[in-house]
Amino acid sequence: MGGAAGRFPRLAGAALLLAAALAAAGCGRGAPEAALTVWAHAGRAAEREALQAQVARWNAAHPEGRVALTLLPEGAYGSQVQAAALAGELPDVLELDGPYVASYAWQGHLRPLDGLLPPSVVDDLVPSVRAQGTWRGRLYAVAQFDSGLALWARRSALAAVGARIPAHPREAWTAAEFERVLAALAARDTDGAVLDLKLNWRGEWYTYGFSPLLVSAGGGLLDRRRRRAAGVLDGPASVAAMRAVQGWIRAGYVDPNLDDAAFVQGRVALSWSGHWDWPRYRAAWGEDLALVPLPDLGRGSRTGQGSWAWGVTTRARDPALAARFLAFLLQPEAVLAMTRANGAVPATRAALARSAVHAPGGPLHLYAVQLTGGWAVPRPPTPAYPVITSAFQQAFADIRDGVDPRAALARAARLIDEEIEANAGYR
Amino acid sequence: MRATAEREEARAARLMAAPALAGLALFLALPFALAVGLSFTDLRLGAPRPPTFVGLAQYAGALADPRFQRALVNNLVFAAVVVPVQTACALGLALLLHGRLRGRALYRAAFFLPVVFPMALVAVLWTLLYAPGPEGPVNRALSLLTLGRWSPRDFLHDPAWALPAIMAVSVWQGVGFQMVILLAGLQGIPRRLHEAAALDGAGPLRRFLHVTLPGLRNPLAFTALVTTVLAFRLFDQVRIMTRGGPAGATTTAVHEIFETAYVRGQLARASAMTVIFFLAVLGITLAQRRLAAHRRWEA
Repeated sequence: MGGAAGRFPRLAGAALLLAAALAAAGCGRGAPEAALTVWAHAGRAAEREALQAQVARWNAAHPEGRVALTLLPEGAYGSQVQAAALAGELPDVLELDGPYVASYAWQGHLRPLDGLLPPSVVDDLVPSVRAQGTWRGRLYAVAQFDSGLALWARRSALAAVGARIPAHPREAWTAAEFERVLAALAARDTDGAVLDLKLNWRGEWYTYGFSPLLVSAGGGLLDRRRRRAAGVLDGPASVAAMRAVQGWIRAGYVDPNLDDAAFVQGRVALSWSGHWDWPRYRAAWGEDLALVPLPDLGRGSRTGQGSWAWGVTTRARDPALAARFLAFLLQPEAVLAMTRANGAVPATRAALARSAVHAPGGPLHLYAVQLTGGWAVPRPPTPAYPVITSAFQQAFADIRDGVDPRAALARAARLIDEEIEANAGYR
Repeated sequence: MRATAEREEARAARLMAAPALAGLALFLALPFALAVGLSFTDLRLGAPRPPTFVGLAQYAGALADPRFQRALVNNLVFAAVVVPVQTACALGLALLLHGRLRGRALYRAAFFLPVVFPMALVAVLWTLLYAPGPEGPVNRALSLLTLGRWSPRDFLHDPAWALPAIMAVSVWQGVGFQMVILLAGLQGIPRRLHEAAALDGAGPLRRFLHVTLPGLRNPLAFTALVTTVLAFRLFDQVRIMTRGGPAGATTTAVHEIFETAYVRGQLARASAMTVIFFLAVLGITLAQRRLAAHRRWEA
């Protein structure tokens, strides 16, 4: 049993959270000379330093509009912002996770950016990021970068089984072709596990990484027009997509990857993952590394998208100044400095055009194609998203463990629709 | 004279208990009262609409949710297995280490060590030990022990094995704590009772049944009660190792309440679940106490 020790980590966690929330609230108030208060998540060191450098550059150029930056730990970022919102202590400019834009907008914490940002800045954003930041036809958030999701592959392993290597989502493997590739790879593998689905990650990864498959099969998480999950999430297309994933797992093709090193150690030839694995994988395999679109389950290859975004809160004292700061962050140099630091995909066309790795022929060109060509599906921009992702994560975990996909998805759809109904459709 | 001293003492006792009582009221009684109040509304985390009164709808919804029902059943099964098994193991270890054994202190430290580890660490380590396939350490150990007749399993993703796997981790982590308490109880039993019983011709088994066990009544009742309460609070291992899966096989009431409140933001529903869960645990502990008191009177 938990023993005496079990109790303390959680208590300490709660205390820390409280202290951090208090500290954050205190900072929001305690910078009287700053013209703009800005909150962001404290990502990895390189990412954090890139943002701090950009704020320093802005402050040097705009002494009248000085920015005070507060970094909050990523793990509890959402709950800290929620706590501050309840206390009426939100800053002028807020960084937030893409799928939660609608939720914050519905709660009345975000100001529409239409009219605040120059049209040229908005037009320069890649479509995926514009879709992520839009709710009910109005733009609430912009982003410096977006994420890339595809299959990392070892070129030599694919060549050894005579598989073709698709370079464009148009040429993606069909479901049957993908299974043939898996079978051929498994036949030459010692334990038959040749695919890494990052089943060790759980959480938001399940929704980010696998809900695009539903759309590829003709289903999805939510019927956008009716704003209901029933009929789509538990419809035949979505069920078929999840049956396919379950089939790969049942056939023993998927490495459980408890150590997150399946691809780096060469245990598998394919890794279903995102741009963040690029530095590690390149170091392990160099020129042998290939980026392949996710399989096409019938309606074209589809991939995930979405990452951290910026919004102006309804409490902003000077929204025009806040918008100018966002426009500054979206300048190509600022965007590129950030994506060089965190490895993500630049979210403006101007910056994307100047990024060598994403240019045609570059190793990450596929990401640019996917995000600008409409191959990426945003997670549903609705205030119900927290419930949608929780329900889908549980359904995916159950399907992974062998539950009938139809039953698992039906339960998820019911949970989601109950929540939408209880909130009167978020009117 | 004596009455004054007693009154003084009572006053001092009240004074000294005051900070703890205030803490209990502020951090336990008050939040619970709030939870009871919230459970009759439809409050959601961050919703801009003001909450409305919905009567008993949240209770009806919670009780009708198959996942929550499963969670309560899992808690009961977990407690029903872990409490006796862990208590028996602790008693066995305590008896072994009470005797004259070479390196006794070393063994005591070794068995107590898991209690010192944070549960989060224990859960992560055991996830690796339970790794599926013939390479998984537990699978390999079982294969060795059965001379290769064991077919490797994915313990944490197998509906039949996941809950027993978590039970094993819990017992392993918690047994040292009870062992220490029972060991102290053993040392409190006067040697002369054992010597007298031996003189009367009682063998080791009869001395255990009629001297040791009655002497350990209070420590045993205490450890059983504490283990029961901890069994119902089961969360850390589940959150880290299985997230309640496969298909709800390891979910617990606390895990469902956590998911409902902090992941889905349904505070009112989670409050109703908390109240139901509180009443269930209260009933079980009261029953257990009455049982223990009854036995004491019989003896």
